[in-house]
Amino acid sequence: MAEMEETDFNDILDDWFIESLKTYKDLHVYQLEHPTQVIEWTSGRTVCVAGYSSSKNEILELHLPLKLFADENKGLCAERDFKVVHGGFAEGPVCCLRHVPGTRCVVTNDGLSSDLQVWTVGGDDSDVIRRTGSVKGRRSVSEGGSRIAAPLSSQLLHGARSSDVQLTQLTSGQILYTLETDSADPLSSLQFVSDTVFLAGCCNGNVYIADTRTSAAPQLSPGPAAWGGSVLWWTDASAGRVIRLSSSGQAVVSDLRDLGEAVSWAQLDVQSHRCNPDDVRVSWAPALDNCIAVSGFSGAVQIYKTSVWGTERQDVQPLFEHRGHAVSSQSDDDVFVTAHVWHPERPRTLLSAASDGSVHVWDWVDQSEL
Amino acid sequence: MPEIKVTPLGAGQDVGRSCILVSIGGKNIMLDCGMHMGYNDDRRFPDFSYITQNGRLTEFLDCVIISHFHLDHCGALPFMSEMVGYDGPIYMTHPTKAICPILLEDFRKITVDKKGETNFFTSQMIKDCMKKVVPLNLHQTVQVDDELEIKAYYAGHVLGAAMVQIKVGSESVVYTGDYNMTPDRHLGAAWIDKCRPDILISESTYATTIRDSKRCRERDFLKKVHESIERGGKVLIPVFALGRAQELCILLETFWERMNLKAPIYFSTGLTEKANHYYKLFITWTNQKIRKTFVQRNMFEFKHIKAFDRSYADNPGPMVVFATPGMLHAGQSLQIFKKWAGNEKNMVIMPGYCVQGTIGHKILNGQRKLEMEGRSTLDVKLQVEYMSFSAHADAKGIMQLIRMAEPRNMLLVHGEAVKMEFLKGKIEQEFSIDCHMPANGETATVTTNPSVPVDISLNLLKREMALGGPLPDPKKPRTMHGTLIMKENSLKLVSSEQALKELGLNEHQLRFTCRVQLQDPHSDPDTLNRIYTHLKSVLKGYTIQHLPDGTVMVESIVIKVSSSAEDTSTKVLLLSWSYQDEDLGSFLSTLLKKGLPSGLC
Repeated sequence: MAEMEETDFNDILDDWFIESLKTYKDLHVYQLEHPTQVIEWTSGRTVCVAGYSSSKNEILELHLPLKLFADENKGLCAERDFKVVHGGFAEGPVCCLRHVPGTRCVVTNDGLSSDLQVWTVGGDDSDVIRRTGSVKGRRSVSEGGSRIAAPLSSQLLHGARSSDVQLTQLTSGQILYTLETDSADPLSSLQFVSDTVFLAGCCNGNVYIADTRTSAAPQLSPGPAAWGGSVLWWTDASAGRVIRLSSSGQAVVSDLRDLGEAVSWAQLDVQSHRCNPDDVRVSWAPALDNCIAVSGFSGAVQIYKTSVWGTERQDVQPLFEHRGHAVSSQSDDDVFVTAHVWHPERPRTLLSAASDGSVHVWDWVDQSEL
Repeated sequence: MPEIKVTPLGAGQDVGRSCILVSIGGKNIMLDCGMHMGYNDDRRFPDFSYITQNGRLTEFLDCVIISHFHLDHCGALPFMSEMVGYDGPIYMTHPTKAICPILLEDFRKITVDKKGETNFFTSQMIKDCMKKVVPLNLHQTVQVDDELEIKAYYAGHVLGAAMVQIKVGSESVVYTGDYNMTPDRHLGAAWIDKCRPDILISESTYATTIRDSKRCRERDFLKKVHESIERGGKVLIPVFALGRAQELCILLETFWERMNLKAPIYFSTGLTEKANHYYKLFITWTNQKIRKTFVQRNMFEFKHIKAFDRSYADNPGPMVVFATPGMLHAGQSLQIFKKWAGNEKNMVIMPGYCVQGTIGHKILNGQRKLEMEGRSTLDVKLQVEYMSFSAHADAKGIMQLIRMAEPRNMLLVHGEAVKMEFLKGKIEQEFSIDCHMPANGETATVTTNPSVPVDISLNLLKREMALGGPLPDPKKPRTMHGTLIMKENSLKLVSSEQALKELGLNEHQLRFTCRVQLQDPHSDPDTLNRIYTHLKSVLKGYTIQHLPDGTVMVESIVIKVSSSAEDTSTKVLLLSWSYQDEDLGSFLSTLLKKGLPSGLC
């Protein structure tokens, strides 16, 4: 009897679960039918996710649980589930999904060509996400898919390589701007830092900054000197700072106005041998100062505080690590995180997705502030 | 065309209650008879006028089936059977039969005594209603009558919940009721075999929800309890005797052990007696773990959980108490609540739905001042937490169930069809089956393709086999000819001779004769010869004979030649054939009317 009780005991309360009582304010764990590589906000309370298998995939718009938003009356709200509010079918994998602000449109790319598919997410009267158009990439054939950024409604910046980035008017298909660069570096990110100024982050570490209003040559900031052979780089910019992360776990923070100089360096504690280039994500917290989230190297999402980094490259430890996906995975294969996003307003709320189809919504506790 | 009709009763977009009518093979079945908990007037009852404008329902219904004891599935049953009138059988599983009357009585007491309602069923009506109940065992086929049979499957969700298969001949429908596909601490997961029903009926909300894991709900529960205890508060958990109480106790016990907590946990004795009693009765309905626990020890023998005495409620310091009844409408849980409500360090955790009129319902709606007996008011300062532990399937689960049962059609109730195009498309695409979504009060008609079993006579079978050719292949049907005889209720396929014999009829032969005029200057025998040669060259593959008696036979068709009396070169051909050779006969007469080709010798 003692033996049976012990296994029950382990089943019910494993270490992570117990620990989570103190380390998370809120925690929600969901299982989608198919894993997603994208999580994109379509409003303050809804996100889009989509499958990435080689054949037909679903695109879903999910409404976050009401309990998460019921701040004063949280106790009285028992509603903890996602609601599938809209859905559609994509013919191929969805590797990049971007919401066009101010509209009910989302744009996707299948990671195989540089063309984009345009979708309209139905209103209250329909639950269908319908394909309503497409945008041609500049070059018809390309290895790897396009990155997409959407500044104002009905304009899209997209491209697979630095040589084929263009700004397309969504409604007319008219090309409003093209980025002229000497080399055709594959891109790992594309984002706007103001209404018209954007950053094109290349996999080799180069970063181009350009303004869509001018035809002036873009500013090129070459990648940081990397050691340890060829590495891949990912970039994110926010509030005047830029972070660059390499596949070996090096991270560099720079000021947007002076990308050539490193404000701080760090060697992050990631399992660099196991990264899948499609899955690595690095992002600044929109509502917290100097915090970044890193995922894609393993089954965890790590939060680092960059303000404690110095000018000498040293090993740093994460401020917080969300190991939920790895811990609760039912599958035998190693699970790894495929996407994460911060909530745009709630400082410590994130959503993360993993290769086993799990999606977590979590609000972590900053132990250093206790 | 054979068809099955399904009508969810109710109005508009109502999702508060379940009551579905099914017409199959000439039988009418009512699935569930729930009360809508959101209404206070007659709208809470299903609208039976769809079945009949006035009068009793007995002659219109062959049976009523109740899936489980939740009030939104059985709350209107005594009203239906005793106030509207129904005397036929009511089917439900054994645990549902044991628990239903208790919940119905509680519900009746609250509605009538607390809220002073009059148009409601009485205690005696509940008793009379339950007398009509025929209990079901899992996986046991029950013959309702000669043609209608039903079978219950395990649904999980709550103790005694079942999914039901209804079968008439080779047509069947499966109704899921509420179910879940992931096992939890005290119940297993729903299971059904590949029964391939014509229709699988389920709730549309399942398909549009993605459920938060059980673990996270439990985590929230433990977190809240722990936080209250840590600040010295008392936690009251009102529970119904069955289900959640046991589970939550196991959870707390394990947590207390792990965290080495000292605060006392109590449960009221009434709770343990009832719970033990029911678990003993229905041990086969719980999951493996519970069964093991029960066999080895008393269900409520815990290290950290002790029996409650009402004097303990006044003890200082933190504690947790499980007490009945679950909606705080009377008894011990209400007494404790009154004592603890005034202190904001305390907490009450409501683990389930509370009926209108109860204190539980009021505080869950945010009411902070309650009017008690004797006009006194109670200030509710303690923390109120509403937690839902009920086990329901979700989008992933419904697809799993469809995969298990392999229905020919899917039918989802309580959804707005206009808003469910994606869902419909998803099911249609993945399983290539139609998905119907009738609105409340609307009837969905599903055409079925039932197979009709027919006996075949041995002689006919032997004859067909003697014809040779490849052996019959299930994938390639082979046409055969016979006569179908319906005698009493059986169908038989026999040869036409046997049919005639059985029916005492004589076989008639039909023979056609036709005369064709032909210009031919030869003698009669020569003309016949020429005809023979001509036909032999045109009709290759047919048996053509020139007989010594002066006729030509094509298969069984006879051709004779004779000359006209006036003119020997005008020949008259006589063609004669039987009905079976009608086609060939017509062909020959048309051919010969064209005359003989000149090249013949």
